[in-house]
Amino acid sequence: MSLLKKNKFIVILLFIALLGIGVWSTYRYLFVTPTKASEVAPDFIGEAKEFKYLFTEDIKYWNNKVVQIKGKVSEINEYGILLNENIFCQFEQNIDITTSSATNDILIKGKVVGFDELLMEIKLNQCVIIQ
Amino acid sequence: MVRITLLLAFTLFSSTICNAQKYYTRSGVTEFKASQETFEPIEAINKSATAIFNINTGEVVAQVFIASFEFKNALMQEHFNENYMESALYPKAVFKGKIDNFSKDSLNKISNFDLVGTLTIRGVEKVVKTKVTVKEDNKKLIITTRFVVKPDDFNIKIPSIVKEKIANKIQINIKYELVEKK
Repeated sequence: MSLLKKNKFIVILLFIALLGIGVWSTYRYLFVTPTKASEVAPDFIGEAKEFKYLFTEDIKYWNNKVVQIKGKVSEINEYGILLNENIFCQFEQNIDITTSSATNDILIKGKVVGFDELLMEIKLNQCVIIQ
Repeated sequence: MVRITLLLAFTLFSSTICNAQKYYTRSGVTEFKASQETFEPIEAINKSATAIFNINTGEVVAQVFIASFEFKNALMQEHFNENYMESALYPKAVFKGKIDNFSKDSLNKISNFDLVGTLTIRGVEKVVKTKVTVKEDNKKLIITTRFVVKPDDFNIKIPSIVKEKIANKIQINIKYELVEKK
């Protein structure tokens, strides 16, 4: 008892600290915004060609996975880039891409959302250009 | 003479085939709001709907990936995908329908049309009837519409604890900017 009395100050401090951690973690759990693809380590790094092959093997597995792929730009519009003819990478924000990059290979990181049967394309979201 | 009529008929026929113009988008905006007024907003936006619109027949097909709905709140997004929509099992929502009496030439006079079609969510089909607005803007066709769906219609079960937080009528807003498919 005397020990507790002596350390009353420390006990109170500890209690407050614990309470603080509790409140903070609850807050994070309840109100945190979804993580963006750019903040996540990719599940696949490699050529777009190879990714396309792996994707068609098991479409469900790739759902929501983050990938970093390198490929040839076949089309550019204000929303995104079409890689290797059938991987559409949609950007987080609409950005202007110079057409000069169209001739080069491009490295893109994004989240796989699925296979678009209407246009026969693989769709990626929240894409960022790495190189 | 017969030959000429045949030729004429053929050219007319083939020209209608060539004119089977399609408009499409990969980045249509689909929003939904399921909030009850007094509680926190339950809403999400999806900017990657694919839609194809045949301007000759008025037929429309649209597809939305459930997992690409973005919420402001990570926990809400997780619940939406895992508990309510089961996006791993049913990755997309599909709409197939027709815009009645659509003609591109009359767009400067009329912009409101009737849209009827089937909406498939979680493998359950439901007929949707609504009004759409189609506007032409700088070679783009901008289609906007809004309609209401009920979670019950698609066997989406809402636990009683949160029942009063989630509206039983969910407002869906759509804005698709289509460009011509070459």
